[in-house]
Amino acid sequence: MTRIVAISAGLSDPSTTRMLADRLVESVERQSGDVSVEVVSLRELAHEITDATLTGFASPRLQDAIDKVVAADGLIAVTPIFKASYPGLFKSFVDVLEADALIGKPVLLAASGGTARHSLAIDHALRPLFAYLQALIVPTGVFASPYDWGTDGTNALGQRIDRAAGELVSLLKGAGTGRGPSDDIDLFSDTFLSISQPH
Amino acid sequence: MTSMQFGLFTVGDVTPDPVNKTIQTEHERIKNTITIAKKAEEIGLDVFATGEHHNPPFVPSSPTTTLAYIAAQTEKLILSTSTTLITTNDPVKLAEDYATLQHLSDGRMDLMLGRGNTAPVYPWFGYDGSKAVELTIEHYQLLRRLWDEEVVDWEGQFRTPLQGFTATPRPLDGVPPFVWHGSIRTPEVAELAAFYGDGYFANNIFWPKEHYIRLINFYRQRYQHYGHGEPEQAIVGLGGQFFIRKNSQDAVREFRPYFDNAPVYGHGPSLEDFTAQTPLTVGSPQEFVEKTLTFADYFGDYQRQLFLVDHAGLPLKIVLEQLDLLGEVLPTLRAEFDARRPANVPDAPTHAARVAARNAAASSLVEPVETTDGSLVEPVERMNA
Repeated sequence: MTRIVAISAGLSDPSTTRMLADRLVESVERQSGDVSVEVVSLRELAHEITDATLTGFASPRLQDAIDKVVAADGLIAVTPIFKASYPGLFKSFVDVLEADALIGKPVLLAASGGTARHSLAIDHALRPLFAYLQALIVPTGVFASPYDWGTDGTNALGQRIDRAAGELVSLLKGAGTGRGPSDDIDLFSDTFLSISQPH
Repeated sequence: MTSMQFGLFTVGDVTPDPVNKTIQTEHERIKNTITIAKKAEEIGLDVFATGEHHNPPFVPSSPTTTLAYIAAQTEKLILSTSTTLITTNDPVKLAEDYATLQHLSDGRMDLMLGRGNTAPVYPWFGYDGSKAVELTIEHYQLLRRLWDEEVVDWEGQFRTPLQGFTATPRPLDGVPPFVWHGSIRTPEVAELAAFYGDGYFANNIFWPKEHYIRLINFYRQRYQHYGHGEPEQAIVGLGGQFFIRKNSQDAVREFRPYFDNAPVYGHGPSLEDFTAQTPLTVGSPQEFVEKTLTFADYFGDYQRQLFLVDHAGLPLKIVLEQLDLLGEVLPTLRAEFDARRPANVPDAPTHAARVAARNAAASSLVEPVETTDGSLVEPVERMNA
């Protein structure tokens, strides 16, 4: 069973960000039979995320969400776009993850915005952030503006969702980077050996 | 002889009192620290440890000056540090300063080494912060040799080489100060403590216990690996913090404004969440005793428990009241910890006990003693060193 976690940073309830997350989850489930998907809604963790940035440790509920993200085989990260980028809540959640938490992990990036003029935020803001974290980013990003939710008759959004979800599914099936975070202490690193073999 | 040591550790911060809207001067803060240390001895505590910082709003930049001053005014208290910066201090000066303190205090001292947590300190002292772990290892290895060997030839990465150097004064009775290594995130420091059979200290104040359990268990396993004893015989110290009043609700009400404005966790989680998730107790003396006793369940039976009391802008008067209350429950804490303590768990280290152990080991040996760096030293030479 492949485990996928969808992170939704939508701030309102109901939220179009969450709607977009749900559409992506549905598409991934449809295209990959053997998959379990769980949605982590950051709005419910907002206070705890702020606390963790101040104290350096996560509350049990936030730690549970972090553990799910780290253990997931793949991620769907969905955020609203405000003022040309992701909101602080989304970044703060990323900030409380360990630096190596997402190494090699397939991640589908998606965003919702109030205007189509935010559409490149996925490429100029989200993609560099996840590149820094050494995640394996799905080529197609999915941006949805109010126009996309309307009835333009072409279902362009649905097609982008299916394409991106399909790309995530195929990354989960094979490729990968073979890399991941490690909790192990390397007792044979140069540093460790310099302790037990003082000159 | 006391199987477990209890004491205080201070950061030495000058923090505004958010209730009385006052702030201590540096002079007041330094003098108050002395008062608190003397109070620690008065209520029957075993240890007083001071931090080392080189930037405002902290005052303790010269720990051995302060500790020697306290040693002169106390009789039983063990003076220690929390922590001494092994990264940015010259190991030669550390060997000299702390050996001098050892003589002045008649052995009533030890020290806890740490990396510090202030990045700019490194360049202020001419070091590169990205080399913190390497500095810790090299500096400690040199410090060890300066105390363990009479004459040292040494060359390393970070310091001028030494040729035929003897650090003076030599350690009191030929037994160097006991060393603790404090760390809350670095397994290499736990390894260093384990390799030398030194103590390991987790400050245990800001984060949930799970974080510290992993490092302490690692240290205990490596202590065994290097042949110093069983894992449960490793020398462990822990921090802790509390605010107590006879009535639990009074403690919560009085401490809340200090908690809410504290430099480390203020303006973040609620007092209730933080006490539930970390070792902080805010409540009655009984609640404090109960929570402190759980530390041994999580970390194993241990040797030293230090408490942070003078922080968050608390005025001296309240700190001293806290110590009076601590003094009242201290006999209970000692009795309860002793009652659960297996016989094979070693007592907390003292200079007298370490001298006795060294003498016992030396008199049973006819062969030269192998020191930690592998060189051979005649037993008699070590005894008289």
